[in-house]
Amino acid sequence: MTPSLDEAEAARRLRDTIAAQFGRSLHIRTLDTGSCAVCEQEIRLLSAPHYDLHRLGFFFTPAPRHADLLLVTGPMVRAFDVAARKTYEAMPGPKVVVATGACALGGVYPKDPFVHGDVGQVLPVDVWIPGCPPSPLALLHGLGVAVGRLAEKTPGLTFIADGGQG
Amino acid sequence: MPLWFARGLRRGVVTTRYPARPDDSAAWLPTPPAFRSRRLTRDLVDRMVAACPGTALSRRDDTLVFDVGACTSCGRCAEAAPEAVASSGEFELAATSRSVLIKEIPIRGDEP
Repeated sequence: MTPSLDEAEAARRLRDTIAAQFGRSLHIRTLDTGSCAVCEQEIRLLSAPHYDLHRLGFFFTPAPRHADLLLVTGPMVRAFDVAARKTYEAMPGPKVVVATGACALGGVYPKDPFVHGDVGQVLPVDVWIPGCPPSPLALLHGLGVAVGRLAEKTPGLTFIADGGQG
Repeated sequence: MPLWFARGLRRGVVTTRYPARPDDSAAWLPTPPAFRSRRLTRDLVDRMVAACPGTALSRRDDTLVFDVGACTSCGRCAEAAPEAVASSGEFELAATSRSVLIKEIPIRGDEP
């Protein structure tokens, strides 16, 4: 179904509002759904002086009630279903979900009785950040994309080293 | 008085924008592969698909399907086919839809 003009206009206005509200102050709650903790190490490095996430207006919060953005790592183990749902529901809207790392994007663990395989099976993901682990630079770019401050580059990349499509 | 504090007072700037300057550490990052499509043959691609420990690579007829989101930048495809794979150097890969991360690379090495 293609959205009508009014709906497209409403969606654009909502995106602008989110960018305006989140653009300079965004609180992040991290959610580890069974990752190997290397993604967490990279996320932790964002607060270090070299990257200094706080200068850009991003802050980590321990409470989902105070969070605007849910940074999800890991392949979504099924044992975590209830906790993941409660965390998501506890966040006030509008909220953004970011899937972080190859596990969360479904590249490492296949769907089986223990894991869902990727975060999109359980939560509505807005931004996907590839990488194993995504470096702090990649995470910063992903957060910028999530709040509409940076443009995404991936649609323009071909991963062909010898010339364009053909 | 620490130097950075004096410098901040003098310039009136306490923080920098992102990215303030290119980050040196970016050159050391492992990045997903980029493929030389004219050197790719079906046999070579099948070897690369077998070497991939995850689900990032697969072959559909004359197309190599590369799922960037599933790639862990381990470099095993480059070990299997060093002549056809280079490092892309791209790491800022965040995307708002999962499907734009799946890239199709034509296999052109079999063409006469």
